[in-house]
Amino acid sequence: MDEAAWILVAGWVAAILRSATPLLFVTLGETLSQRVGIINLGIEGEMLAGACFGFAVAATTGSPTLGLLAGGGAGLLLSSVHAGLCVGLGANQFGSGLAVWMIGLGITSFFGRSFVGAQVDAAGSIGGSWLEGMPVLAQLLDNLSWTAPLAFLTIAVAAAMLYRTRPGLAWRTVGEAPDAARAAGLSVARIQVSGVLVAGFLAGLGGAVLSVDYTQTWAQEMTKGRGLVAVGLVIVARWNPWLVPPVVLAFGAAEAAVLRLQAGGLEVSSHLLAILPYVVALAVVIAAYIFSHRDGGMPQGLKGVFAARS
Amino acid sequence: MRVIGQSQQAERALTALLSAFAFILVAMGFFAFIGEPPFQTLLAMVTYAVGDSYSLSESLVKTTPILFCALAAIIPARLGLISVGAEGQLYIGALVGTFVMLLAVPYGGWLLMPGILIGGAVGGAIWGWLPGVLRARFQVNETITTLLLNYIAVLLVSAAVYGPWKDLANLGWPATIAFPDASVLPFMFGTRVHAGLLIAVVAALSLQVLFRYSRWGQGLDVLKGNARVGRMMGLDFQRQAIIVMAFGGVFAGLAGITEASAIQGRLQPGISVGYGLTGFLVAWLAGHNALLAIPVSFLIGGLIAAGDTLQLFNKIPASSAIVLQGLLFATALAVPGLIRLWRARRG
Amino acid sequence: MTGRHIALRGINKRFGALTANDDVDLDIASGACLALLGENGAGKSTLMKVLYGITHADSGTISIDGVQQNFRGPFEAMAAGIGMVFQQFSLAPALTVQENLLLASPTAPWLHVPGSRALTAVLEVLARLAPDIDPRSRVADLAVGERQLIELAKVLNLNARTIILDEPTSVLTPTETKRLYGFIETLVADGAAVIMITHKLADVEACADHTAIMHRGRMVHAGPSADLSRQQMVELMIGTASPATADRPSAPASTTPRVIVRKLAADTETSSVANIDLEVCAGELLGIAGVVGNGQTVLADALVGLHPLRGGDVIVDGHSVAWTPKPRIPDGRVAYVPEQPVHNAVVPDLDLSANLGMRSILQRRFWQFSRQQQDADARALLESADVRPPEPMRKAGTLSGGNLQKLVLGRELAGAPSLIVACYPTMGLDVAATRAVYRNLFEHLDRGAAIIWISEELDDLLDYAHRIAVLHGGRIVGVRDWASASRAEIGDLMLLGALPQCA
Repeated sequence: MDEAAWILVAGWVAAILRSATPLLFVTLGETLSQRVGIINLGIEGEMLAGACFGFAVAATTGSPTLGLLAGGGAGLLLSSVHAGLCVGLGANQFGSGLAVWMIGLGITSFFGRSFVGAQVDAAGSIGGSWLEGMPVLAQLLDNLSWTAPLAFLTIAVAAAMLYRTRPGLAWRTVGEAPDAARAAGLSVARIQVSGVLVAGFLAGLGGAVLSVDYTQTWAQEMTKGRGLVAVGLVIVARWNPWLVPPVVLAFGAAEAAVLRLQAGGLEVSSHLLAILPYVVALAVVIAAYIFSHRDGGMPQGLKGVFAARS
Repeated sequence: MRVIGQSQQAERALTALLSAFAFILVAMGFFAFIGEPPFQTLLAMVTYAVGDSYSLSESLVKTTPILFCALAAIIPARLGLISVGAEGQLYIGALVGTFVMLLAVPYGGWLLMPGILIGGAVGGAIWGWLPGVLRARFQVNETITTLLLNYIAVLLVSAAVYGPWKDLANLGWPATIAFPDASVLPFMFGTRVHAGLLIAVVAALSLQVLFRYSRWGQGLDVLKGNARVGRMMGLDFQRQAIIVMAFGGVFAGLAGITEASAIQGRLQPGISVGYGLTGFLVAWLAGHNALLAIPVSFLIGGLIAAGDTLQLFNKIPASSAIVLQGLLFATALAVPGLIRLWRARRG
Repeated sequence: MTGRHIALRGINKRFGALTANDDVDLDIASGACLALLGENGAGKSTLMKVLYGITHADSGTISIDGVQQNFRGPFEAMAAGIGMVFQQFSLAPALTVQENLLLASPTAPWLHVPGSRALTAVLEVLARLAPDIDPRSRVADLAVGERQLIELAKVLNLNARTIILDEPTSVLTPTETKRLYGFIETLVADGAAVIMITHKLADVEACADHTAIMHRGRMVHAGPSADLSRQQMVELMIGTASPATADRPSAPASTTPRVIVRKLAADTETSSVANIDLEVCAGELLGIAGVVGNGQTVLADALVGLHPLRGGDVIVDGHSVAWTPKPRIPDGRVAYVPEQPVHNAVVPDLDLSANLGMRSILQRRFWQFSRQQQDADARALLESADVRPPEPMRKAGTLSGGNLQKLVLGRELAGAPSLIVACYPTMGLDVAATRAVYRNLFEHLDRGAAIIWISEELDDLLDYAHRIAVLHGGRIVGVRDWASASRAEIGDLMLLGALPQCA
């Protein structure tokens, strides 16, 4: 391929990375939450909260970094409701997740109205003049902000934490065998709460990346089920943080390919095209169930709440 | 031995009472948080929900789809399935029902109304059948599939009304032609309350009878409690999974088509304001009891109607009703756990 | 290494109506192995859980070298150098051996660098105990005996000086058992105190310096093992009650097979059976002996049509009863008494009436507006099966184990079945309940039913079964007539899968 083609590919890769970055954070968060044995459907609401309050702070202060942090904080705050209900009070995890989702949806619609149409600055690009003479790399990096590398770094840190440290082992044990964890003197409740809160922070951060950095707008219910897609992708990624990037990027690539088709002159309703991410998510979830060992990789502690019971 | 049943009922009543009380406190806390006078706002909400005949009728208008959607969650729950797909089933019900209307409008006739209702029911059933089959054949978790299918359904309706079904007479507004009067369920008491409410209530009552007194309902109890034992007794979990999911979809589909035809008058985007999720909440609050779902639906219907009026008169965004629903759900989930904790502490 | 002395005095523990420990005294000395002997339910495990701090005694004291202890939980007991290996392990099956050991070791480092000294340190004890276990393998993939050794390694990693083993040899192969005996000797020589909860005399003879015998919650003997003969130990364990709870059923009248199992093969994720050929006559009790985990569960499920077959067939009275994709409506031909009835035979959330009536659920008319008939039937069945309390409205989950088993037998045997498959039907039951189960089953033998009885109590099988088939590694490795069956021979088949070759 000549350089022009490579530049085209670089542009495409950058587009996929940009659109996938929010989902990387959210899917990682849900993965960690499920690794400690807690399903969190409220991740959708937490992502919305992050998108809304992250955007609000970024618009008010003019600092995208503060906005992203605030988004994470909002997600964390909302996830504490889930943690309290599921871990503290033993409520049903699906029910609690939906309650958190509703609260997030309601609160962001309520408080987000005044920020519709506001302006924010995107997070800084990682490209720059130092890339002169490297047009392919420039095409890639100029189009990326530091949130994309941050997502990969976070995933690497989380995975290393999970598989290579003592607290990580404790987390995995809590998800796999709560009784064994208890017997080993671990506080199952405390670890589960931390897992849910970390997931909440990451979901909020992912939401803020979506509103502040990617779309640079806030709209009511703007996450449109991405949090729930993340819940599905966790299954496909076998509850393994290392598999989160390939799964999310494959998903993003499928999504982007469809948009390219449309740009290429394919006459299809934009609404029908908007269906495709969900169809892709549904298809990969179904495929994950059919083609791999049904419970493969699923933390044992989750099976009671989640796994097929027939 | 009756004592066991009674003490259980007393326990449930206590939990319900405490939950209601806790919710009122939480709601007032929320009003205070958004800078509204808590007590007055609460009172205003009650007035806007049931204060006069108009308010009451608007509450009943909201009750109808909520009750239908609650049934769509309750039926699968009798088998232990967690279906959150009522929203999508509602949209597909509206879509298929409208399709029947568009086909049949040139012919008119008395068959039109039952025709679109059946269309709605079939549409909802298909959207329930799909996750049912996935669950039965491949053990795919129905909660995730129904959640994803919801988004697909909403977008399918958008694609139809922005695209081929758009009525040009609407001046660019994405909606189909209006439902002819002959296709619309009769209204009651000169209000916007339509006969769909009657259908929903009768369905809820009949379902409760079915659950309690039929072989089918008793079989579901066994399968839900222990699918393995169910198989020993000749009961087929896979088959029932498909049946309950599709059967539940029927009612959500009816919610969709009645909303489109009787309330909105045409198929357009946003025919539901989250009725599916609300119905799930109602099902949960009612303990998956179809009879209890009737009053609970009315309660939440009143809450949503009052939220609309609150926006109109008090300039509080209607989304406060969604927050309140979420808080109600959270409270209802928290109270049993709190009671348990309190008892454990007292020993 | 100075010897220390642990003294338990006047331990009382009640669970509701059951007295698990009745004024029990016990002395534990260092540098010796103590066998705590007794039947199931004699109160041995409870006593040791009191020592380990899991269970709190209603009254009584524990002292170490004269200093009174008050363990609030196992961690305080562990800190005092007491470790316990349970029958139910506290391992995380999805994690590796090494990870499980790291988790339990307080000295494990924060950062787990693969291959580092700190990580391999936790493996040293295991390497001596079981050199052939790969520390990287998942615990779920290991045999039960291997898992027990990992539990033991966990306890030893904590520098326990008093080690309690709960029925350690019940899950071990002969080789593993021998190695464990050897290891216990090493520990004892090192000055540790080892307490072995057991009901096997072989364990006592192999390595116990002292023996304490419990019977129905009371300590009936404590002293050096050499003081007692085998016969005396048995008498103290069993007490004065007659050991045989029922008479052997009379020999089957016919020799025509009523139940034919042909080349049956079935798999689950964790176990499989294959090439199972069995014939059972009317009135015949066929026992299936074997160590737990050799495919009993899947075999039982496959026999009654609850589990798909990979091959073969099960024929009862000329009809196949094997699994079909669509569940078969129960016709009363096959009765199944599965293991763990609370999980596998009833719906705990439904009342007794519904649990008894569910067998006919598909034969009813669609509407059942009145439960009067069902409740009346249920009450009659509860009375005749002696389920207590006989309250049709009570939830099944609230019944005790014995009453639950009576309920299941009452329901399953109500229809005069041709084949009865019973899986550990008396597990966890007291003597009276056990006798009731036997009597009930044997009545059906006299009526002409064929019974397949899966058990791990070889003595019971030898007492009652007409023939004994031995299941090992998912295969039938031998069938013996009761008259010609020898305990030793069947024991070898159970444990080794074959008879030792004579040189």
